[in-house]
Parts: sequence; C-alpha cells; structure tokens
Amino acid sequence: MTSFGRYTSAETVGYSFSQPTSAPNKEHSFYPYTDNGGSTLGISGSDFAILAGDTRSVAGYNINSRYVPKVFKIGGDDESGDGAHILLSVVGFAADGQALKERLDAVVKMYKYQHGKPMSVRACAQRLSTILYQKRFFPYYVHAILAGLDEEGKGALYSYDPVGSYEREQCRAAGSAASLIMPFLDNQVNFKNQYIPGSGEGHALEPKKAEPLPRETVEQLVRDAFTSAVERHIEVGDGLQMMVITKSGIEEIYSPLKKD
Amino acid sequence: MEHFPEAWGRPRNDIYGPYDHSYLQTTGPKAHTQSPAVTGTSVIGVKFNGGVAIASDNLASYGSLARFTDVKRLRVFGDSAIVGFGGDVSDMQHIDRLLNSIDIRENYSSDGNLLNAKNLHTYLSKVFYKRRSEFNPLWNHILVAGFDGDGKPFLSSADLLGTTFSAPHLATGFGAHLAIPILRRLFPEDTPLENISKEQAVEALRECIKVLWYRDARSLDKFSIATVTKDGIEVKEDEKVEAQSWAFAETIRGYGAQVN
Amino acid sequence: MDKLVAQYSRPRHQDEFYSEQEQRDLTESHPSISLKFDLPPLENPSAFLRAMTDDHSNPSCPIKLAHGTTTLAFRFQGGIIVATDSRATAGNWIASQTVKKVIPVSRLSRGEDTQTDAPVPGLLGTMAGGAADCQYWLRYLSQQCTLHEIRHKRRITVAAASKILANLTYAYKNMGLSMGTMLAGMTPQEGPALYYIDSDGTRLPGNLFCVGSGQTFAYGVLDAQYRYDLTEEEALELGRRSILAAMHRDAYSGGFINLYHVKEEGWVHHGFSDMNPIFWKTKLEKGEFSNVTSEL
Repeated sequence: MTSFGRYTSAETVGYSFSQPTSAPNKEHSFYPYTDNGGSTLGISGSDFAILAGDTRSVAGYNINSRYVPKVFKIGGDDESGDGAHILLSVVGFAADGQALKERLDAVVKMYKYQHGKPMSVRACAQRLSTILYQKRFFPYYVHAILAGLDEEGKGALYSYDPVGSYEREQCRAAGSAASLIMPFLDNQVNFKNQYIPGSGEGHALEPKKAEPLPRETVEQLVRDAFTSAVERHIEVGDGLQMMVITKSGIEEIYSPLKKD
Repeated sequence: MEHFPEAWGRPRNDIYGPYDHSYLQTTGPKAHTQSPAVTGTSVIGVKFNGGVAIASDNLASYGSLARFTDVKRLRVFGDSAIVGFGGDVSDMQHIDRLLNSIDIRENYSSDGNLLNAKNLHTYLSKVFYKRRSEFNPLWNHILVAGFDGDGKPFLSSADLLGTTFSAPHLATGFGAHLAIPILRRLFPEDTPLENISKEQAVEALRECIKVLWYRDARSLDKFSIATVTKDGIEVKEDEKVEAQSWAFAETIRGYGAQVN
Repeated sequence: MDKLVAQYSRPRHQDEFYSEQEQRDLTESHPSISLKFDLPPLENPSAFLRAMTDDHSNPSCPIKLAHGTTTLAFRFQGGIIVATDSRATAGNWIASQTVKKVIPVSRLSRGEDTQTDAPVPGLLGTMAGGAADCQYWLRYLSQQCTLHEIRHKRRITVAAASKILANLTYAYKNMGLSMGTMLAGMTPQEGPALYYIDSDGTRLPGNLFCVGSGQTFAYGVLDAQYRYDLTEEEALELGRRSILAAMHRDAYSGGFINLYHVKEEGWVHHGFSDMNPIFWKTKLEKGEFSNVTSEL
C-alpha cells in the first residue's frame, strides 16, 4: 500500500503527547491457532435453508482426514442431533470450531430445558454473537454461519466474523475458498450485475431483481460452487456435506468431491 | 486508535508498541518457555475388520540424539482402548498419570471402567484444548484406538492444539508423510473394513515402521505394536524390524565423500 | 519464580479439566451482565490480540476482523441527519456490501424488523471500526438505556447514554477495541443532540461529525455545503452526497447509502439505496464527477 508524507514510517507518527512503549518482555511464542482449511456455504430460500461444507481437514500441505464434517445440528435430543432445528457451520481452526459448536449446542439445550420451548433462530443468532464476543481478546479463529427457519417459516441465514459481528443474509460463503465462491453467489443468488435485456439503453439498463430461488436450483448452485472451488483451491475437496432445513426437519446429503 | 484514514481504527504504535511478529512465529529460533525436550516421533494406526491396530517405535530422542531407546509409547487404558503418544515424553507421562487416576476412579465406581476409546478421546482432546487455551500446551500428538459406543472400531487423533480428526488410517509425526501414503495405497479409504484382516493390518504397520526406520532419522528399529479386538488387547512391546534391506542406500548419491 | 512454584506445587491433575464454575459459564443460556471476557493468559494480551488481528501492520495476519468505514451525522434546524455506507472489509476482502451501520439504540429490537413509515422513538448509533465492537457495545448500551427507562420512567438523554458508552470504552482503553461511533437523538431536555464516542474514550458533543477511513472525503463535501438552516430536503441530499463522495474516493467504503433523519417524534429511515444508480444520476443529471467518463 502506498503511503505519503509523515505517515510513511508508522513508528514516527508525530503525536506531541506520545509515550513510546518499549517492547514488552516476550513470555511465550506458542502459537495457539492453526488453519484446518476447507470452505462452507449457506443459502436461504423462501421455506428452507441450506448449509454446506466440504469434509477435508488439512494441516499445512498435509491432508489430516477426508471426512471431518463442518456442518452441525444444534440443539438436538442426542448425539445424532435428531430433533434439532438449527444448523451451524464452522470453518477455520477446527478445535475452536468444535468448542464453539459444543458450547452453542449446550446453550440451546439449556434454553429449551429452562423455558420449555425451543430457542428461536433469531435468539440463537444473537446468543452466538455474544459467545463469540466473549472471546474478543482471545478470539475463536472461526467463521461461523447459522441457519434455520424464522418465525414466519422463511429460511434464515446469519453469518459471523470471528469476534461476533453478524448479519442476516441471503447467501454467504466462508473459509479458504470464500473468495472463489462468494462472487459466484453474488451473481447467481443476488443477481448482481445482471440486467434485464432490452430494458433500456446504456446506464438506464434495469438490473435484475433478486428473488428467493427454488430448492432444486439452490442445491445445484451449491454443488457447482464446490466442484468449481475444488478445481482451484488445494484445501477444498474430498466430500460435500449438505444439510437442508425445512419445516419437516433436517435432511443430510453427502456427495463425493474430487480427492486430489 | 489510529485516526489517519490510511489505517483508520487500527491500533497505534505509540500506544501499543511496535507490531510484534513473534507471536506468529512457528518456526525459526525457539523462544518458547514451553517446548518439547525429549520427544517421541511417529505413531501409526489402522482399522481392520473387528478392531484396530496401532504401532510406534520405542525411541525417545533428545533433539537429534537417540537418547532413550526403550520407551514404550503405547498405553493401554481399561480393557479396550490404547493411546499412542507422539511428542514430548514428560507430557506423555503426565497424561499417563492422569489416565491412571481416572482408571482407578472408574474402577471404584459400581459399574467398573466403562469408558470406551471414543469417550477417552473426547476427554483427552478437551484436556489438550484447555491447556492450549491457557498457553501451556501438552506437547503431544496422540492416536486413540479402540471401539466407539456402538462397538465399531474407532481410531482418532488429537494434538496439542486440541484439533481432532479421524480416518481409517492415521499417523503422527513423520509417519504422516511416510506411512500414510503406504497405508492409503494398501487400503484405499473406500475399502470396506470387512476386507481388511487383522493380519493384513498388522503386516502393513510392520512395513510402515520399517520404512520409517529407513528414512526417519529420529526413529528406531525396536517398536511396539498392539491390536484391540472384541477378544481383548494384544500388545507386543519388544518387536524388532525384520528383513531389512539397505540395498536402496547403494543408489543414493550426493551425500558424504563418495565420488560420482 | 512464585508463578513457577505455584504452577508446580498444586495438586496433580487438579486443573486438568474444566471446573464446575467454568462448565456452568460455558453452558449459560443467558449471557451474564457482569461482562466476563476471556483473556489470553499472557503478560501482554493486547500485543497478542494485535499480532493476530491488525491487518494494517501485517496484511497476512491470521484473523481478519470485519471493519466498517464511512459514517456521518450532522445537526440542522430540522433535527439530525445520519448517513453511512454499507461496506465491511476484512483486509482487502470485501466481507459484505450490505452492513447496517446505523443501529437503533434503546428499547431492544425496536424497529429492527418491522417496516413502518412512522417515526420510531429512540436513539441512533453509528458504527465505524470493528463491526463486532460496535454491534456488541451498542447492544449493551440499548440494554442500559432500556433499564434506565424502566427505572426512571423516562427516556434517557443522549448526553447520559453517550457517557455510559464513553465510560465503557475508557475502561477498556488500550485493550484493543476499535470503534468510532456517533449517538444521535432528540429528547425534550436537550433538543437535537449529537455525540461522538470512540474507543480511546473520547466523547465530544458537536454539530457535525464524519467518522471512518472515508471521513476526509465526506468532510470535504459536508463542510463546503453545510448550513444550520438547511431544509429537510437539502439536508438529506447533503448527507447522501457526502457519503457518495466518500464511497467514490475511499476504497474501503461503498455499497449502499443508508440514510436516517432524527426528528422530535423519533427517527425516520430514508432508504438503503444502491450507490451505483445514484452515482450515475448525480453525474449525468447534475454534471458532477466530471473526472469519470460516461462513455460505455
């Protein structure tokens, strides 16, 4: 990045009141994170939401395993996750992701136990944000996406940064191939930079309006996104785990991806 | 907080001190107060029809010195689980004591020790994760072999960061580079477990240990090998690498004083 | 040395698992109001946090946080105009183009989902800097404002609300928070009131503020055309035009123009509109932005 004038050397920004802090004693240099790679993706529709992730786990250039799921059911009755009504995907540092998932799962279960009703997706989304923010000064190294159905039965999708800023969206890709998948989704889900042919000349050309897509289209988009990401990103591959949440429950679909 | 547009909102050097890269360093000169001293290298494991086989050599190195040549790195827990340790030996012994106290406590409970390998793995991975979150890691990479709650063969790994993953065959240390490709070729990941016999699995592990002895400078030709099946655990702790052939070494050029 | 002795003199395995209190904290379904944050157990936690998250000093830092960018607010005879862009960046990556950087404060969830044209009573907060910091602390502020309403049976003043926030950011000074926020509201005691609060603990009342990496560009337009006696129409247009200038010149700003008007009865939303058609309209109809060619 170019910089000009007095800002060139960040050390010598001239605040008259500055008190240079000497380098503190370095105690540790244990590095508590690692990146286990992979990518996740979520798209919401009018009466469903899909969360998907590849199943590869890497450490550097090593493939740890070809089947480590990144999408989890939250608030289920037992270990299998049956009875869950919320989905969570985590990508980044797998151990942090696991810890986060277990924590949210426990919270949602406690909520049901204490209130006698399942936690709404909106409440769960806010709670996840505060959980992430509690680790503001020692963050969970994860990008989380939460999916479920809102009070009106519409698909709801919330995406998070590592310290808990969140937003409800139509679609979101996270993880190492996010930069490959997200532009594709912008174009195919939100119809960014698509215009209605013949609607006008030059700058008067009307943009195409985005509307919720049917489930078959969305499933195919997810597959296309991942098969393409596998072609161009070394950390993505092996298997595609897709979870679809509708009012009749959660359906899990596994399909193989290229294993190279 | 920086108010110049260029770096708006970022930390200011005159307040936080200069950016300290050392927190990110994972290689280079060691500045750890916590670093492994006496270490074990590979542990390798493979699932077969009705059980799991696991092996490791009996060496504990001190840097490049082959310091202790009779250190058993496979530990039996209960009557159907084995833990294989790579990494720091003192931390291994600490975990060993920990497991002893759990074993004793469990055995005093009315039902006896009911913890299976899966439970054990979950527990140990949480111990690792807690210690890494305290910046005081247990410097190990372990494999846990045995059975899960459904009585199916179970093989999973956990490391100093709390990262966990499982696969039909796993290895720590140099084994991840040398043994895994051999095991993946012998037993491709889509092979049904029924097609792999105990004898094949054990033979493959012996072969892997041999290859590691050929090429891993921190390995030994004395090793331990164990199997867990429904009939119980079999451990052999004083095995020797047999039928060695160093003929391949003849063709190696480029090291030492030889001409051409 | 004491630390070392303490570490090794404790009973074996005592700390090897989560204590009951820790397990309770982890599974609490309601977050505690007492604000417990996990710190890395290091001599200098903020240096660690900076090493992990400062994407300016080290563009390849491992954890990239979402940052927000151009926001502005100004007082005029008809109330207060609040305008923002909608881009969030994590390093060079545009993490989102649809961030809502104006956050309604006081009475939780009011006006978040329901779309009405009627003015909504309450304050508005803006977000620049760390997206999570702003979202979290403005939400915390909402909680405090609601409690204030319940305790005192009247709406909190903007001065008091901004002081709560400033006291907080001052308490966390030098821990690594990053936020530059404005609070705007109209109360019977104060009339239209506007405060700037940032993560250094600064709290300033004022007529006009621009905050974020695009602040300079917004100031340029705003200062040139600002008058206290602007009509409502003119004021909205000026807010929109200033944000547009910043979006055009600052790479870290862009997306949609989010426009609000704070009146006596409450705030009114004036749209979350794509900058692209507005830009071309401004250029082609008013002849501004002549630095850009309109050839296709």
